[in-house]
Amino acid sequence: MTTTPVTVAVRTASRSARAAGSATESRWLLWPPLVFFALALGAPLVMLLIQSFETGGSAYMEMFDVAAFPAALVRTVVMAAVVMLLTMVFGAFYALAIMGSPLWLRLTLLAALLLSLWTSVMVRSFGWVLLELPKGALYWFLNLLGLRDEPLDFYQTTIGMYPAMIAVMLPFAVLPMMSALQSIDHEQLNAARVFGAGELLTFRTVTWPQIIPAMISGGVLVFVMSLGFYVTPLLLGGPSNLTVSGVINAQINQANRPDLGAAMSILLVGGTMLVYLIADRLFKVSEKWG
Amino acid sequence: MATTIGRSLGWYRWPIAFIAALTSLLLIVPFLILVSTSWTEGSFINFPPEGFSLQWYAEVLTDKGWMGSFVLSLWTASLSTAIATVLGVAGAVGITRVKSRATQRWLRTMFIVPIALPPIAYAVGLYGVNSSLDFLRGTLVSLILGHALIALPYVFVIVSGGVARIDPSLRPAAATLGARWPLILWKVELPSLLPYVLSGMLFAFIVVFDEVVLAVFLLPPGMQTLPLRMLHASQEAFSPELTAASTLVSLLAIVVLAIIPLTNAARARRRRRPRARPNQPHLEGVVE
Repeated sequence: MTTTPVTVAVRTASRSARAAGSATESRWLLWPPLVFFALALGAPLVMLLIQSFETGGSAYMEMFDVAAFPAALVRTVVMAAVVMLLTMVFGAFYALAIMGSPLWLRLTLLAALLLSLWTSVMVRSFGWVLLELPKGALYWFLNLLGLRDEPLDFYQTTIGMYPAMIAVMLPFAVLPMMSALQSIDHEQLNAARVFGAGELLTFRTVTWPQIIPAMISGGVLVFVMSLGFYVTPLLLGGPSNLTVSGVINAQINQANRPDLGAAMSILLVGGTMLVYLIADRLFKVSEKWG
Repeated sequence: MATTIGRSLGWYRWPIAFIAALTSLLLIVPFLILVSTSWTEGSFINFPPEGFSLQWYAEVLTDKGWMGSFVLSLWTASLSTAIATVLGVAGAVGITRVKSRATQRWLRTMFIVPIALPPIAYAVGLYGVNSSLDFLRGTLVSLILGHALIALPYVFVIVSGGVARIDPSLRPAAATLGARWPLILWKVELPSLLPYVLSGMLFAFIVVFDEVVLAVFLLPPGMQTLPLRMLHASQEAFSPELTAASTLVSLLAIVVLAIIPLTNAARARRRRRPRARPNQPHLEGVVE
């Protein structure tokens, strides 16, 4: 892709730092976080491994016999993929609109995005519950328009989960695309116009190629975060729509099978990390975020 | 007046703006509904709310349980944020001193990976550590350390954005004048990173304050952080008390985080840097 001023700055900064950096310096600056990672990230993961092998590794076979687990696994992956695709599409519209609208609309969209980013995920999910309850706000609104006079059956259904999940994840897709759009060279857009390219051609050749990497890194992040999502699916999906996280919680707190819970956790962590690391190497996700 | 990007989209910007406006309803409407249910005069959740009263806010603010949870959350979140800030800043600065490009990439990935860590799996692992080590049982140590790990990437990402903007000639200049690295860090780098450190810190605080899954597993019996109390309350029944508490938490977050753009705007006004491009909503410190 094109080299933005920021990456140039990063490169020059790291080059000169290399000249001035010393071994003592990195020992003092990098070792404390590394030790912390080993303790706070390494120890729990090792503990999960030990727990999952407490029954001699049979937990890994047994977990697929737990009635709810295979369905939850499929549901979680499908849900994460759908949420990823929809946030990418709507996020692109949203980012384009923020960068290309008149001021009043731009400020409204930005305010909505920041409000959503800053308020608690749980609070936002509560709002969706109140909206979707059989006689909740959505029913009130439809009733007001004379469209429906019997209670809704939307709450705690699979379809009912999606709008809330998309709303929760949307900022993570929009923000990288916004910063990509911010760094587009406006002279390129003007040049395309001067040379007679129409709107579609300008978009396809100038704007689109620069959004794509940001869109992918936002999408990867949304996918990975959705895999481990707990609170929103719990509140809006209900007991019939358990995600992997919900099944893990049930194994530990209700079924009293910590070995199964640990094996499922290993699968979830392993899968998530694998997806993240592959995407990171392919699309340089981390660099987009740093 | 349209922006350059707006002009380049031509007529298509109207349908795009329309779809975005509809999408923004997804973000705003549930929140407004939640807030409005909290000012009801009745004792049940209802939409539209009956009448207007602030009784449920008074209820929450004078309730020992709610306030106790609030104070506990404040304490634990502050400690985790402090740990995450120190380590995140050290990491963001330290990573630029690493010689090999490949090591740098792996370190960067490691610092960001906790964002992708499924909270429940992490909580189960921490719970295992907690219950196998006697001296941790009944304490808040593992909760605070766990929250610090979750908050660390946010500090790291935001401060890294600042590190990239430090004038690269300052370090060699200070070094030739005889300053050693701790002095350079303290006198040159940290002051110019300060706004980034502050916004990273606030972000980390908000993230940790909101985290509930770790609290489900790691809090000693009898203790409840605010989000945990809210989750429990929601599983019993939705009450105006719960929505009032939710509104208060959100207001707090909005007020705290509104400090960032305001202070940034004030700083920008003082400096008036000519290269700042007008007409672009710039989210300093959110994503770089």
